[in-house]
Amino acid sequence: MSLRAGPASTTADGYALRVADVTKTFRIHHERASSLKAFIAAGGRNRYEDFYALRNVSFDVAEGEAVGVIGHNGSGKSTLLKCMAKILTPNAGHVEVTKRMAALLELGAGFHPELSGRDNVFLNAAILGMGRKEIAERFDEIVAFSGLEQFIDTPVKTYSSGMYVRLAFAVAINVEPELLLIDEILAVGDVTFQQKCMEKFVDFREQGRTLVLVTHDTGNVRDFCDRAIWLDHGVVRSDGEPAAVIDEYTETMLGAQQSTETEGMRRGDGQITIQRVELLVDGVPVDRFRTGDDVTVRLHFEASESIPKPVFAISIASFTGALVTSPSSRNVGQIPDAISGSGVVDIELGDVPLVPQRYVLHTEITGYGRQRVYDHLQNARTFDVVTGSSSETHGVVTLNPVWKISGDDVVPSLE
Amino acid sequence: MSLRTAVAHRNLLYLLSLKELRTRYRKSLLGWAWSLLNPISQMIIFSILFLKVFGGVPPKGAASGLTNFPLYFLAGLLPFQFFAVSVTASIGSVQGGASLIKKVAFPHEHLVLSIVIAQFVTVCIELLVLSVTFLLFGHFMFQWLVPMAVLLGLIGLFTIGVALTLSAANVFFHDINYLWGIVSQVLFYSSPIIFVPEQIPSRSVRAISNWGPTGSFVRAAQEILYDNRMPSPERWLQVSLYAGVTFVAGAWIFNRLSPRFAEEM
Repeated sequence: MSLRAGPASTTADGYALRVADVTKTFRIHHERASSLKAFIAAGGRNRYEDFYALRNVSFDVAEGEAVGVIGHNGSGKSTLLKCMAKILTPNAGHVEVTKRMAALLELGAGFHPELSGRDNVFLNAAILGMGRKEIAERFDEIVAFSGLEQFIDTPVKTYSSGMYVRLAFAVAINVEPELLLIDEILAVGDVTFQQKCMEKFVDFREQGRTLVLVTHDTGNVRDFCDRAIWLDHGVVRSDGEPAAVIDEYTETMLGAQQSTETEGMRRGDGQITIQRVELLVDGVPVDRFRTGDDVTVRLHFEASESIPKPVFAISIASFTGALVTSPSSRNVGQIPDAISGSGVVDIELGDVPLVPQRYVLHTEITGYGRQRVYDHLQNARTFDVVTGSSSETHGVVTLNPVWKISGDDVVPSLE
Repeated sequence: MSLRTAVAHRNLLYLLSLKELRTRYRKSLLGWAWSLLNPISQMIIFSILFLKVFGGVPPKGAASGLTNFPLYFLAGLLPFQFFAVSVTASIGSVQGGASLIKKVAFPHEHLVLSIVIAQFVTVCIELLVLSVTFLLFGHFMFQWLVPMAVLLGLIGLFTIGVALTLSAANVFFHDINYLWGIVSQVLFYSSPIIFVPEQIPSRSVRAISNWGPTGSFVRAAQEILYDNRMPSPERWLQVSLYAGVTFVAGAWIFNRLSPRFAEEM
């Protein structure tokens, strides 16, 4: 966290933050001399290569705007944040801040374990650039927000990690910055505290202050921001409407890691096995489809002998493990008396209402009496769903809701 | 870090210095008494060595008429210790603030300055105790605390210059600490703290102990506190030059290196 006082006046074009042609390189040392002896032995030179973390990054953040910076790990977004926060100095270009800025990079950086909560509030707020009088005025508010009134005079080393974070966040948010830089900290503390933080951020936005959120959680960007910037290998790849930028980002990211049939975990007697699992949209095999597409799952099986009354089942789970659905041919009474040789099973799923993310598909062939497992294939394949008919992103499915708002005095939107 | 942000963060400097003073003797039985016990024990050791082992003759205070080696020793030791202890504590302070430097933008020099300020407060208290001790020996020196305060200010600038340089260098080369261990020994024994410069037979050694960087500060302090006479204008000029040049050089070096701290850690 840090806070800097910028000139109070509003600039002509009204930007709160300007990143102008910023380039930042890091030295990758081959043999780093961290002692004088090693340094002198190397002839006074450290051998290194330059690594470009940011390359000619430029953008303005307007006053009152909420901008989300997204990108994969190593895309340079943390470096960018640190440059904006003035922790790192760019090699070329510059960062201009016209507003009082606070950067939440790590909560409680600079807390001293031996000092009391009270002393740490003062110290931490001072690190953020507040004056003594200002802190004294806000002190009660800060303590109230943290909910740690009882413990404020005990050393923070006795605090639980949750208490620690609460106090730190209370200080950080109460320095009343006009420009707030946040790094993935929306995920700290328990649910109640997160809720409290969210409310604070919403207040913050409503007061017309400027927010820059650096995260890989595209959901937060969709919910909070009116603009998204996608950083890829140190360059701005896309900049604009969050929905559009995020779709482009997720599609590219998913495309980069091919999702096809995987080497699953197989168990069972093996007289009949699943050879291949295909996903078909309009009869065409695909690796990914859009929310709302009409999808058919095709299982290719091969039996080495005649199998009486086989039951086919699939189950679909989100990549994080939540089971979405688990249909079985037993449910609908589609049980042939016997099959042998090879063939396919088509499971027409209809319009699939899955929200965009990655899913895993498992398959199973059992006997009718359930006592026999012929073939159980865990992780038979993965597939990706990208944004389609619905723009929902949370949860697992969309129920395709239709919204109607009526009342005594509802002014309809012109659109 | 510009002067403007340093001023904007003056409250931080105040609180960091306070933290330094408050946490130093946490969990120690005697607490602050340690800052007095250390020089007193050294005084006893070196007095026995000087007077009993080597049979030295205590110097005669020019204006004060004192002939008391323990007091002579303390008059030189306290300002030297202010310098040496500050630098020792400072060297690791920037590296020790790594978690802060990597996460927060703030004037890095405050990590160093707060230590020197805390030591300054300590030496002031020690000096007051010393004054009372002098009084017990029938020697009144309170009016001499004014030039002494000016001298301490100059020593402070010198100390800050050295501390800034070494603490910044330590981020890049961790063996500064060991190097300083040797250098501080050399400075201690080359300064006329446990001997009297007039009694040195070799002219060159006498000159070094009289006019070396720490030697000159020690001499000025002894002249004020022990001899009770104003140091000569040449002496003042000399200590001012040492203080000014070291301070400016240290601040320049620190400012050059501090933008690289966050990525070097």
